[in-house]
Amino acid sequence: MKQARFGLLLFLFLLIPPVAHLLESIMIIHMHMQMPLLVIAGFLMAPFFQKRFPRLFENWNHAGIPGILLVTIVWLYWMIPRTMDDALTVQSVEAFKFFSLPFLVGVPLRDSWKKIGLTVKKIIFIGFTILFFGMGILYIKVPVQLCNNYLLIEQITLGWGFVTMAICIVIYLWYFVFMDHSKYE
Amino acid sequence: MNRYSNMAIGIVLLFGLTLFYMGTDGFRAFTAETARVNNLIEEKPTFPNVTFQDSKERAYSIDEFKGKYVLVTFIYASCTTMCIELEMNTAEIVEQIPADYMGKEIVFLSVSFDPKRDTPAVLDQYRQIFDSDGETWRMARIEDQNKLDSLLKKFGVIVIPDDYGNFTHNAAFYLIDKTGTLIEVLDYKKSDEAAKKIVKILDTEARGNL
Repeated sequence: MKQARFGLLLFLFLLIPPVAHLLESIMIIHMHMQMPLLVIAGFLMAPFFQKRFPRLFENWNHAGIPGILLVTIVWLYWMIPRTMDDALTVQSVEAFKFFSLPFLVGVPLRDSWKKIGLTVKKIIFIGFTILFFGMGILYIKVPVQLCNNYLLIEQITLGWGFVTMAICIVIYLWYFVFMDHSKYE
Repeated sequence: MNRYSNMAIGIVLLFGLTLFYMGTDGFRAFTAETARVNNLIEEKPTFPNVTFQDSKERAYSIDEFKGKYVLVTFIYASCTTMCIELEMNTAEIVEQIPADYMGKEIVFLSVSFDPKRDTPAVLDQYRQIFDSDGETWRMARIEDQNKLDSLLKKFGVIVIPDDYGNFTHNAAFYLIDKTGTLIEVLDYKKSDEAAKKIVKILDTEARGNL
């Protein structure tokens, strides 16, 4: 439960308006720090919900598929260039961001990850790697501004951020493939 | 796989579809810029009452162009990137407008959002780069920053100053009709397409008047 408390604390910290404002003022920090931190907050809070509503997770997220699907859909939604702009200009979208990332991504991610099989994990990893490369190239190469609230240079920075993330995942996958798993299981 | 899980998958998919539908105005706008243009064309805002000061130091409001269409662009003279392309493309449209219409049925107006630096003298120099005559294609600034801001806001022009005295901004051709209402927002990269559309509007109007 200690974890859940840390998660809640992190969530509340991110909610403080000056903190939120600071993180959102730089595009790459908005997307690659604030958003993942919100997911992590939810991830940490997950045990609380799992203990509180064991039946809910057992029944409705039996094999982890609905949960991981929800995670993918909500995460994809936040990758649309427009949603990031809307989060800055439309209050309800901003509120949805603070709700959806911890509770519709973080919590189900933790619940699902243990339940889903290796194949699904592979699909998720490879899918997101391709997506991150794609988004990275999109943000770097597209000559027009995709987000109205940020400078073009920030957009290019974000693009490289995506590519870096994708490379990191590839390194991880590489390591995963060539690791001797029997030593750890 | 139990019954609940299947139901949950259905609910999640439905939720996702709704979310994407709402977030993109029915799959029409994936960037805020498209959403902005779609909104503007639906809203049709009227041009607010501002005072221009043009490259010949004349002062007037939008009423100066009453009874004429006005093609408005937003620029700043020290711009080294997008505005040049925008104004080059404006020049291409100007070339495609029949001489009969020019100045009588339609006027071109480039509005500077950098009034501190873009004095009439600077604008006068700037207009010569694009062969603008200063009459049928005018360049003007709006000195009152508050009024300028309200115009930019109304037309969804986003201008973000950076650390080097430049601005990041969006661009488009804004077509104002004879009553001062915004009727079209056209892609500034497709000047031929925009010119065709404008000439068509002017032609229909001219035929109607016969």
